[in-house]
Amino acid sequence: MADITVFLARQVRTMEASMPTAEAVAVRDGHIVEVGTLAAMTPWLDNYDHEVDDTFIDHVIMPGFIDPHLHPSMAAVLLPMEFTTVVEWDLPWSEIGAVNGRVELLDRLIELDADLEPEAPLFAWGHHPIWHGEIDRETLNEISATRPIIVWHRGYHSLIVNDACYRWMDIDLDAARRHPQIDVDKGAFFETGLGFAYRYMTSFLLGTERFRAGLDRMRQVIHHGGQTTIGDAAMGMYGFEEEWGHLKAVMERPDTPFRIQLMPFEMALGGEDDSDEAMIERVLSYPQRNTHRLRFSDHVKMFADGGFFAELLMLKPPGHLDGRHGEWMTPPERFEQVARSFWNAGLKIHVHCTGDLGVEMTLSTLEKLQWERPRFNHRFTFEHFGISSAQQVARMAEVGALASVNAYYVYELSRAFADHTLGYERASQMARLGSLERAGVRFAVHSDFTMAPAKPLNNAWVAANRLNEAGEVMCPNERASLDAALKAITSNAAYVLGLEDEIGSLRWGKQADFTILEADPYDVGAEGLRDIPIWGTVFEGEKFPI
Amino acid sequence: MTSPDGLVPVTVLGGYLGAGKTTLVNNLLTNNHGRRLAVLVNDFGAVNIDVDLIVSHDGDTISLKNGCVCCSISDALGESLDRVLALDPQPDQIVIEASGVADPAKIASYGYGWPGCRMDAVIVLADVETIQDKAKDQFVGELIIRQLRGADLVLVTKSDLVSEDALNSVICWAADIAAVPVTPVSHGDIDPKVVLDLSSFDLDAKWEPQTSHDADSIRSAEDMFETATLELSRPLDRSRLEEALALWPQDVMRVKGIVRFSEDCDCGAELHVVQRVGLRWSIEPTLPNTDLEDSGGRLMVVVRRAAVDATSLISGLVDG
Repeated sequence: MADITVFLARQVRTMEASMPTAEAVAVRDGHIVEVGTLAAMTPWLDNYDHEVDDTFIDHVIMPGFIDPHLHPSMAAVLLPMEFTTVVEWDLPWSEIGAVNGRVELLDRLIELDADLEPEAPLFAWGHHPIWHGEIDRETLNEISATRPIIVWHRGYHSLIVNDACYRWMDIDLDAARRHPQIDVDKGAFFETGLGFAYRYMTSFLLGTERFRAGLDRMRQVIHHGGQTTIGDAAMGMYGFEEEWGHLKAVMERPDTPFRIQLMPFEMALGGEDDSDEAMIERVLSYPQRNTHRLRFSDHVKMFADGGFFAELLMLKPPGHLDGRHGEWMTPPERFEQVARSFWNAGLKIHVHCTGDLGVEMTLSTLEKLQWERPRFNHRFTFEHFGISSAQQVARMAEVGALASVNAYYVYELSRAFADHTLGYERASQMARLGSLERAGVRFAVHSDFTMAPAKPLNNAWVAANRLNEAGEVMCPNERASLDAALKAITSNAAYVLGLEDEIGSLRWGKQADFTILEADPYDVGAEGLRDIPIWGTVFEGEKFPI
Repeated sequence: MTSPDGLVPVTVLGGYLGAGKTTLVNNLLTNNHGRRLAVLVNDFGAVNIDVDLIVSHDGDTISLKNGCVCCSISDALGESLDRVLALDPQPDQIVIEASGVADPAKIASYGYGWPGCRMDAVIVLADVETIQDKAKDQFVGELIIRQLRGADLVLVTKSDLVSEDALNSVICWAADIAAVPVTPVSHGDIDPKVVLDLSSFDLDAKWEPQTSHDADSIRSAEDMFETATLELSRPLDRSRLEEALALWPQDVMRVKGIVRFSEDCDCGAELHVVQRVGLRWSIEPTLPNTDLEDSGGRLMVVVRRAAVDATSLISGLVDG
């Protein structure tokens, strides 16, 4: 085998300002030695045995896509389930159409019931009353009297089961009847009632075989989306050592065409039982475990307010449309204390924050820390970034913050949140990317999969168009430019993960990670981003077609 | 010492960071109240128990000589509940220390409906020095108010740190928001009968109506409350009891009893458990209890001393 492989392409998009386009990339031992024209590479090619690979002569080479924030473990639980959401999913093993309306949902459940082997429980994820109306135990009994059916809320907010499921769970119905957030007659478990239901389901859902099969599906999903690096933003949600074992078994294989940067979950909520020093010591010890594809680093995760899909965001006045309240996931004082310890230890802090009060708490903490002990290049990152104001964005720029944004919120939730949760003005301005770009705040977009499809081009498409599932453009002034949207899934996503010297653009010395497209996104333009077919990827110099 | 319905009562301790929950937990674990408590805590590291009282300290569980255990709420609250419910012997009562940002009324749903559990009360603690400022804080103000409104009883803690006037003003303020009994406490020193369920253990014990102590130190826990037990020789009039439970003032902290109702009531001669914590009350049918086979039952009240006369309060139910 030759020392150097030169990949020729119709176009190479480097995402490097010095040389935005090229025709060839020369690769040795999984790393790039030079990008440019074939002719300019002569000094290398004269000195080393080489081959020219023209597989991509009709294709476009982009830097390998990066999703800096998703959850393989949550996906491993969810991917073995059936998807019945109001939006479509293009998964490697099937194309799943949108399920819109109560009738469509019930028809889909009937189909699934007919297809599944007898006795197997039917877990259907994606129900949302806004689109699917109310479903109850009787509704599900009519679909099957013998198969356990579990209908799971899109935002993990509730689940609804039938009588066969009660039998399968062997549930204590007397206790369930006393629970204020379980309606036994309707078969419905809400919020804290979910914990009650999980009691009877976790051993099934987290069973090694099922979980690893789910992780393997996740492996396919990541490749399918054209990603060569992802960030696991809360590794160990279901138990650190268990997950570490599963990840090593399923992901650390020669045919896995991506790497995972892991942020441990355990101290994310304030680390309760440990001193801050002990937590920091542990964080710094994790990289000793690193394998080729699974890597810990010095990035840590913290949580401000509750989930966006679950509508638990903390809001400044005027608050939620219906007067409901969000939740703090970490007490603000504790948050500040832990953030200070992490900050002073030089760690890179990522904060889950979804509402403008969550952003405010996070931002005022960062401002305080910058005042106490100024740091440059600190990579403090606002994760998700649902609701914010332009004034907050200006302050983020002042203190050097980054953002990793779930732009997809706009697509799926902006209309529903305008009507039911926030009113139009705030809902239309969720995921404020235009302001970030104007203020010079570097941002990535992420999927938080399974919150959004793990398809970077789709997320970039939402970022650059702000078109929602109802077909409306929401706040065009908050659209990202095409260039910023593409940086958000390549160079800036690498920067958010602290890996910009290694991945995210194409130049000498970087990993030979490419995403191979059938069209040049700069030619196609913002409107067509999500429809660009992906040939596959190159991971560390090796081709992996989809 | 199981409760009359065979379910373990759950008490939730709520309140913001620094409200004094850990101090109260430390007290409950080591206090000589004769009950085997299982206390589930968020901040396991902060629990500070004299080593002489500890039998074993195993990872996230501390077992005490008095039969109490303290466990960390490691992952899911439900798992922790299952863990202590599986202890042999089963604890007499479970106390959950809610996280500082939890809505304790939400945590209470575990008490209502976890297999093997029954809800006792939500007790919310408020630091006398900081609660009013916190209630105006832009980040947690709304949460502080919500925590108080979710309480059955409110304890205003660190009461020794402020003047009598300042204390009273905070108590009135909190009572106004929470609309439940509010009582001062310092160093976690509170009569366990106020914060814990009055179990059948208490009901079975032969209580002598206690005579008044020296009333000088009104803030001492023992002196602040008075307990009275009424032995019922005949069935009660249900509507009269219901009326009393609804109307008794906030100075009545807790009511617990096992009673029989007169035959004109539809519910026949079966035994019922009566409970009131703060202003929330219930009457539920219960299993036969051999101890009380031949009697009309027993009713017990804990009241604020000097505010209400406990004996005359309950005697009123059977007079005439």
